Amino acid sequence: MLTDAELQALWLTFKVSARAVVFALPFAIACAWLLARRRFPGKTLFDGIVHLPLVMPPVVVGYLLLILFGIKGPIGQPLHDWFGIRLVFTAAGASLAIAVTTFPLMVRAIRLSTEAIDVGLEDAARTLGARPLDRFLTITLPLMLPGVLAGAVIAFSAGLGEFGAVITFVSNIPGETQTLPLAIYTATQTPGGEAAAARLALLSIALALAGLLLSEQLARRLKRMLGS
Amino acid sequence: MILSRLIQRTSAAIVLACAAGLAAAQDVTVFAAASLTNVFEDIAKAYRAKGGGPVKFSFAASSTLAKQIESGASADIFASADEDWMNYLAERKLIEPATRSSRLGNTLVLIVPASDKKTIDIKPGFDLAGMIGNGKLVTGDPAHVPVGRYAQQALTKLGVWDAVAPKIARTDNVRAALLLVERGEAPFGIVYATDAATSAKVYVAGTFPADSHEPISYPFAILAKRDRPEVKSFFEFLFGPEAQAIYRKAGFTIK
Repeated sequence: MLTDAELQALWLTFKVSARAVVFALPFAIACAWLLARRRFPGKTLFDGIVHLPLVMPPVVVGYLLLILFGIKGPIGQPLHDWFGIRLVFTAAGASLAIAVTTFPLMVRAIRLSTEAIDVGLEDAARTLGARPLDRFLTITLPLMLPGVLAGAVIAFSAGLGEFGAVITFVSNIPGETQTLPLAIYTATQTPGGEAAAARLALLSIALALAGLLLSEQLARRLKRMLGS
Repeated sequence: MILSRLIQRTSAAIVLACAAGLAAAQDVTVFAAASLTNVFEDIAKAYRAKGGGPVKFSFAASSTLAKQIESGASADIFASADEDWMNYLAERKLIEPATRSSRLGNTLVLIVPASDKKTIDIKPGFDLAGMIGNGKLVTGDPAHVPVGRYAQQALTKLGVWDAVAPKIARTDNVRAALLLVERGEAPFGIVYATDAATSAKVYVAGTFPADSHEPISYPFAILAKRDRPEVKSFFEFLFGPEAQAIYRKAGFTIK
């Protein structure tokens, strides 16, 4: 049904998006916990910055990444010169672009489930002598899980569709950075590419829908499991 | 929540699109290849200075624009960077065939960042892939963007396409490729001579022989049923002496 090039794009999309989620998740959990539990000066601003990618045009995200993480950029240059890490035009760069644009989605889901946790449980653990890290790992984190999973799934499925930030930062290289939406874009621009575009578009809709449903399902089931 | 956000975004986009549609009813809307950005803006300025009406532009890859016109985009004039995409619209009866005219030409060049000035002898079998090394060569997507198609023809004719193809980062128009070389992210790029001339941050390392690719030609046409007087007036201005001077200054060849 799909050509080799299309399968390659599909597989690459999964890989790139999954890596984005895996790397971003610990940071998202930390941010969500900070936002749900801590009060600190500049919290509103911090909250705003975390959510910025949700409302910023993806092209701007891609352009900022290019300026910061390009091999001539203030972060990209040391990465490249010291560690030989190159993000522009690479699949790793595509993951970074996706991680940034889907970060707020993760944080939101995790924050909601963190806010729903009964603080009394943590207090009880403290009176029983559990240290902060213990309390976090044995009480808070497990109770955050529904949000963590839902956030990861939603970010993963949104990542499958990220276009603007990816094409701006890492351009469109088949087999390296050409994810599903970029392949669809190329197909729609090519004469006679309509059939391929339609096929890939249907596939992408199906994936997005599956992601949404799965995330809902997971959140519900976990909530039941945790008895809340 | 995500759904409602989507609906919000979509409805906002529809409202904006409608507003744009209304505005287009009075102004002259020109869809032009990205490589024409600077010259067309200058020409529109000259046109207004001579008492002409407002002109709006949408600059992108010719392929993107042709596809948008096919989908019913409200444009009056199309200026393509290759004959193929104008043919594409002509076959679909979307242009006024009598108005079609190609007077502009261009040359294809290999550029490097200005910080890395060098001259490269572009000849059959030259080791471009070796020079690119671990970097990338940026140009328009050869699947549809004209500059990428010309680049593919030239590299194929010179016998180096197979070696270079895996090292090409494809951009969605020629100016995006120019930007990546300007910023030093890509060590090489293939753009038009006129694009290279707009930037002090790139250096022309070599020019592709004119016979290595189809002649670069910019066909202009008024779109079907769009030949209103104000459209015709600007269309004629695009071929007039002021415009010619602007093209020449930018480095376009004039037939």
